[in-house]
Amino acid sequence: MSISVLDALQPAKKPALLGLILVVGLFFGAWVQGKYFSDRSPVQPIEFSHVVHAADNEIPCQHCHIYADRTPVAGVPSVSKCMGCHNFVPSVRESPEILKLVSYWENREPIPWIKVHDLPDYVHFTHKRHVKAGITCQECHGAVETMDRVTRVATMRMPWCVDCHTEKNVEHGRDCLTCHK
Amino acid sequence: MSKISRRDLLQYIGAGGIGAVGGVLYGKSVQRNVEFLIPQVIPPEDYSPGVASWYNTVCNQCSAGCGISVRIREGKATKIEGNPVHPVSQGRLCARGQAGLNVLYNPDRVRAPMQNAAQRGSGNYTEISWDEVLTTIASRIGRLRIDGNAGRVRLLTGRVRGHLDELFAQFMELLGSDHYQQYDFTYPAAIRAANRISFGVEQMPYYDIKHADYLLSFGADYLGTWLSPVHHSLAYGHLRQGRPGQRGKTVQIEPRMSLSGAAADEWIAAQPGTEGLLALGIAHALVNEGFYLGSDRDEWSNALQAYSPSRVSAETDVSEASIIRLAREFGESKSSLAIAGGATAAGTNAVASVVAVNALNYLAGNLGQRGGVIFNSAPAFSATAGSRQAGLQGMLELVEAMEAGDVEVLLVHDANPVYALPKNVRFRQAMENVPLVVALSSFLDETTAMADFILPTSTYLESWGDDVPDPGVGFPLASISQPVVATLYDTLPVGDIVLSLARQIGGELPIRMHWRTTEAFIKERWREEYAQRTAEQDEQDEQDEQDFEAFWQAALEAGVWGRPGDAAGEQAAPSSSSMIASIADPVSEFAGTENDYPFVLHPFLTATFLDGRGANLPWLQELPDPMTSVVYGSWAELNPVTADELGISEGDLLDIESTAGSVRVPALIFPAIRPGVVAMPIGQGHTGYGRYAKDRGVNPIHIVATLLDDQSGDLAWAATRVKIVRTGKRLRIIKTDGVSRTLGRQILGPKNDHS
Repeated sequence: MSISVLDALQPAKKPALLGLILVVGLFFGAWVQGKYFSDRSPVQPIEFSHVVHAADNEIPCQHCHIYADRTPVAGVPSVSKCMGCHNFVPSVRESPEILKLVSYWENREPIPWIKVHDLPDYVHFTHKRHVKAGITCQECHGAVETMDRVTRVATMRMPWCVDCHTEKNVEHGRDCLTCHK
Repeated sequence: MSKISRRDLLQYIGAGGIGAVGGVLYGKSVQRNVEFLIPQVIPPEDYSPGVASWYNTVCNQCSAGCGISVRIREGKATKIEGNPVHPVSQGRLCARGQAGLNVLYNPDRVRAPMQNAAQRGSGNYTEISWDEVLTTIASRIGRLRIDGNAGRVRLLTGRVRGHLDELFAQFMELLGSDHYQQYDFTYPAAIRAANRISFGVEQMPYYDIKHADYLLSFGADYLGTWLSPVHHSLAYGHLRQGRPGQRGKTVQIEPRMSLSGAAADEWIAAQPGTEGLLALGIAHALVNEGFYLGSDRDEWSNALQAYSPSRVSAETDVSEASIIRLAREFGESKSSLAIAGGATAAGTNAVASVVAVNALNYLAGNLGQRGGVIFNSAPAFSATAGSRQAGLQGMLELVEAMEAGDVEVLLVHDANPVYALPKNVRFRQAMENVPLVVALSSFLDETTAMADFILPTSTYLESWGDDVPDPGVGFPLASISQPVVATLYDTLPVGDIVLSLARQIGGELPIRMHWRTTEAFIKERWREEYAQRTAEQDEQDEQDEQDFEAFWQAALEAGVWGRPGDAAGEQAAPSSSSMIASIADPVSEFAGTENDYPFVLHPFLTATFLDGRGANLPWLQELPDPMTSVVYGSWAELNPVTADELGISEGDLLDIESTAGSVRVPALIFPAIRPGVVAMPIGQGHTGYGRYAKDRGVNPIHIVATLLDDQSGDLAWAATRVKIVRTGKRLRIIKTDGVSRTLGRQILGPKNDHS
């Protein structure tokens, strides 16, 4: 019977079990970290909601992220841009989050947003090309208009980039020098 | 299944726990650091994140006045290159210019106004507000002005460019003090003085190396440090390879091979101090061989009679045959050109030597010719650069005045005489007699460290200014210097400081110097020049303001304004008789007798530090010397023959002693130097000036004897004799070279391979 095999393993059983539990623990720990302590969804200095702006009020993405179609980066709106609208939205003027915004504006300080999507410096990525190619924002950033707090949905790692380039049959899409130069 | 014992259970739980903690830590460790996404509060109109723009301005790392383009991304300067449309630099730039970013981002910049908190020179400063410091200084100066003692205020600067010079001059004049002087170690005082004597015009003509086909350089390291190295390097490239089928020849006469010497076809190490004599010997041969066809040939022949090649050969240690051959080559070439600089223009006979070289150009018919010496037409602007250079003569007078207590307030800007004057001048000690020393400076150099107040100036990349390149390029040319980045720290452009002081001192000053900022001042001056120029041309009777604005925008964009069409400036026509009369025996004197001090000290400017001003820039510190490959520190170069005689090998620590003092440096055996000469690079040996410059190497200027060139009053820094004292200690020289032997690899062919 197979019991005999187990019997033969008997002397090594305890260390093997200990090792197994350790490995399972590692995976569990890494999962917990990813699930509850990850940087995918950082807490921002102001609780800005894309649901309110992009979905409820139907503001197009590029109304605020004005550089997306012409520079490498999409750009966050300047503080003056925020105030440009909020000066004329008295209904929320007294809400605590807007008061935070007003205080940044009055102190002439920028809002220290935390980056959610970030590529390493050795990756040459430009928004311009992707926007011009007709890729919607949501394809990479997920349904931002449903997020109260922006969460990264894609891995933003190389296999993910290459998969999409392959799928869309991008010219030179798999050349090293396209992204690393 | 066996029961799990209590001990085993605890072990399993422990393993699981360690695993989980490890997993969390792993996850954390691969997570990227938090990065911020900082928006602009109010974005500038032309702002695009991630897209670089290039702004044109003027380099300030030496006096050449190259136009530069600075790459700006998100308001930060990230790269400096030559401005392609600027006629001086033509899109190229040297290492010093590239290292301008090190000036801007230097960690040792003075970031706020400072007040001396302890004894002078201790470097102990405390911060003070701009308001307070300006009020304090203005009231001190203002009181002197009211008491009629304004003459006790003195202003010392380095070379100040363009209209800023006028601003300084106006400030001092309105104050009632005529003591505004400049000191720049690299200023070509001897060349200017010699040109006044030879040609009757005290200007730097345009030496057209580009179109020459025979270049005879007496000590001028035109590729490394002389006048305008970037421009000359471009010209040299053209001289060599720019004309198909025609390759220009260059000959370099200097005791120690410089970069230009290495690039030359022929390197002649004449006896130091006799280069002028050699020029006269060549001139003698030139006339004798019939290359000079003027009607006054006999007079020239008479004047040069004493300089027969045989006599000159004996004194210069250049063979008679070589002198005659050089004369023939010089005379036969279609466009030949002789230039003088470096040590040739820094002996006690500097002016006489340069006059001799000028005579060579005259005799060969090079004046006003393409590929020769072209006199610049009137400068683009009325402001003439560099007329206030004090030289050693002026500095000695200043020291005397300070010692006598005649100086109450000393304002110093962009000059470092404590470093760049011989120690015997005792500038530092004299400064202690001055009740109030104010430094307008970006860095805490040796002179600034003696100040009671430091007014931090913005760097040239953060300031307004303009410049008329000197030497020019043969046609009227002016450049605009504009701030390419916002001021990084609590500093002010030097012009703004002067204007603020003028406002606070009161009296006539704020009325006549009414500009709020340097920008307003510069723009007004350009408006005046523009109006004058267009009026001269009768293009329009009435000036349209719109026109000027368009012109100003275009000039700002290009960084430069010029009129290549006006190339035909009035060429000086020197009278032959006055040139003959100016020929003087260029006898050089040396400090120290040959018996006590058997060697000649040859300090040389380096392409990296120049006169020491570049030593605080890390990129330049890590750049090896182009001839010896030595990096960091100082060294004394000796010919292998000299070294053998003295039993010195590389790395032996030597005391190099002159009548004025001594420095301790390691020896470097260098074949491209005349036996009996000790060469030392200038630039290191700072006792302050920031972390990169401090306590590295020695300063050979400090042991130079205070000898003057009589005619220009400038320091004769190549006229000192030294002796070598071995200390018995050693110091390893850091260099990127391997060994100088071929180690049997027969690289030079079997015949030449001796090792």
